[in-house]
Amino acid sequence: MNKEIKYGGAYVPEMLWDTLRKLTEEFERAKKDEAFQSEFQDLLRNFSGRPTPLIFAARATADLGGLTGQGAKVYLKNEGANHTGAHKITHCLGQGLLAKRLGKSMLIAETGAGQHGVATATAAAKLGLECVVFMGSHDIKRQRPNVFLMERLGAKVVPVEYGSKTLKDAVNEALKFWMEHLDEAHYCIGSVLGPAPYPEMNRYFQSVIGREIRAELSERENKLPDAIVACVGGGSNAMGSFYDFIPEKSVRLIGVEAGGVGKKMGEHASRKIAGELGIFQGYKSLFLQTDEGQIAPTHSISAGLDYPGVGPELAELYTSGRVELTYATDAEAVSAVDYFAKLEGVISALESAHALAEVRKIAPKMPKNSIVVATLSGRGDKDLFNFARAFKDESFREFLKDEYNRYE
Amino acid sequence: MHFTTMNNLGTLLSESRGKKPLFMAHMIAGYPTIEDSEKVAEALVKGGADIIELQIPFSDPMADGPAIAVASEEAIKAGATVAKSLSLLKKVAALGKPVAVMTYVNIPFRYGIPKFVKSIADAGASALIVPDCPFDTQEGQTFFDSCKECGVYFVPVVSPGVPKERLEQLASAGGGSSSGGKDSRGFVYCTSRQGITGANSKFAKELFDFVKELKQIFKLPIAVGFGVKSKEDVAELAQVADIVIAGSVFVNAIKNSGIGHVEPLVRTLM
Repeated sequence: MNKEIKYGGAYVPEMLWDTLRKLTEEFERAKKDEAFQSEFQDLLRNFSGRPTPLIFAARATADLGGLTGQGAKVYLKNEGANHTGAHKITHCLGQGLLAKRLGKSMLIAETGAGQHGVATATAAAKLGLECVVFMGSHDIKRQRPNVFLMERLGAKVVPVEYGSKTLKDAVNEALKFWMEHLDEAHYCIGSVLGPAPYPEMNRYFQSVIGREIRAELSERENKLPDAIVACVGGGSNAMGSFYDFIPEKSVRLIGVEAGGVGKKMGEHASRKIAGELGIFQGYKSLFLQTDEGQIAPTHSISAGLDYPGVGPELAELYTSGRVELTYATDAEAVSAVDYFAKLEGVISALESAHALAEVRKIAPKMPKNSIVVATLSGRGDKDLFNFARAFKDESFREFLKDEYNRYE
Repeated sequence: MHFTTMNNLGTLLSESRGKKPLFMAHMIAGYPTIEDSEKVAEALVKGGADIIELQIPFSDPMADGPAIAVASEEAIKAGATVAKSLSLLKKVAALGKPVAVMTYVNIPFRYGIPKFVKSIADAGASALIVPDCPFDTQEGQTFFDSCKECGVYFVPVVSPGVPKERLEQLASAGGGSSSGGKDSRGFVYCTSRQGITGANSKFAKELFDFVKELKQIFKLPIAVGFGVKSKEDVAELAQVADIVIAGSVFVNAIKNSGIGHVEPLVRTLM
């Protein structure tokens, strides 16, 4: 009690105290419970499709100089091969199982891009739970296809009409709804953030990514990677990828944030550029905020990175120097999607493309025979409309017009 | 200093013990504008409010409903900085009624908690309410210590459903003094985002039982705020509450009908 917490903690109204305590206790019990573990593993293997492939990006490696001359071998950990197209399904299944153990009948979630919402709706449908997803009305406009999918999966999507009408406001509204429905609802937070135990719990579920990278690479190369690169919004795929390698001091761990369109407040979502210690949405961490402590507006072409805070464990690893943070701009992310699509047959989500952009920068500078693994946290299907617009694709524009006319 | 002299809220609370419940009216610093929010305070006082709850706006007020969230956003847009909120606080306190400042933890955290508490004390605040800062955090302890030093009550916020075990921890928290933290709390703020859905609802019964439990555990006046909208709601809560809190009803009135309606609304509710 009263102990100094540099990052994390549970800064929530008293009405959540008992709920968080029960969740923490159940999480601790579940970790040691073989029945829980085997059910979780079964869902990962036979529903989500794990383990996900580790792709050797041979042509990108050659192009970046890594086979003949200087430069690293590039591997892609394809989390996009998961059911629903991203790593998010893993912590949704884990939390869904916990919710059932707690006797809850409903999963609620916030979503930005819609990926976590779709994953939560999927887990809820699979596990027989009701589902309510909160989504900023601005994001609903940007990500209509995912709203449609969530509704088909039986979820109710509730638009949030205030604030910036994006991810952080969806979190606020989900928290409020939760406080009104504590008996029946479990809040399935979508990243390694929020009050304890969420950061640790979601990292625990996602750490399967790093363990798989280690095993797959050991089989193929019989050694550890030299660097792991992952995009960072809240940090769930990054913490999942990094966690198993934290004690391996030879492995560089690189998180890539959203550099957006500039370095001014409101033009990016990078805590490396401007994050300051704060307390928000239940946890203490680095946040983009004004000098007065008002939470700042953010921008990213990828809705999943468009959020002011970063998970507390990641903030701690960053400030201690174990994890490096950097950023990629909107334009670099779009270009990286195109590059890996043409060379590797992989269409990345815009979020994950931030990590790919960093690989293009660092792989050529790394020593011969070194290995860089980039986590491809999600596939790009959901960004179809955004890509088409980013590439100013005229035929897609015509298609949309035709599609509109076909709608009658 | 441990409240060697009681502040004006302490005096009011002890004088009104056993009498008609007090009425605490909520407003947001800078809503609709800084100038107009001074008029809102005047209207609340003229209408008869006993205590003013002055919210320093935060961009993302987790424990408030959409009405206060939107109004906070508008206040910030209209220029409600912490500095301006503090000078407004000084003017509101000068109206003669005790003022309880409410805000979210990131605002004082960024400002520096001891400095923030000293600033609101200097500006005339009698109490501080921070719904998202549990007492058993480092910051919670700093709030306690700073408030004690400055003669400001650090008010605990609870809701039905908080277990007895936790309430007892809360009641004995506050660090050091033999009476626990009780003397430095002033009153207990009991709230919920669930509204009263009728006088005979199951929820009203639960609420009444909970308030009785709070009185036993804390031995402090209990303020109750549950989205009151009408005179009937106030009368209902007055059966158990020592202080009835009216919150978003004033923000809604300003938004829908203008500041002119605030003063008569206080009279109607009371």
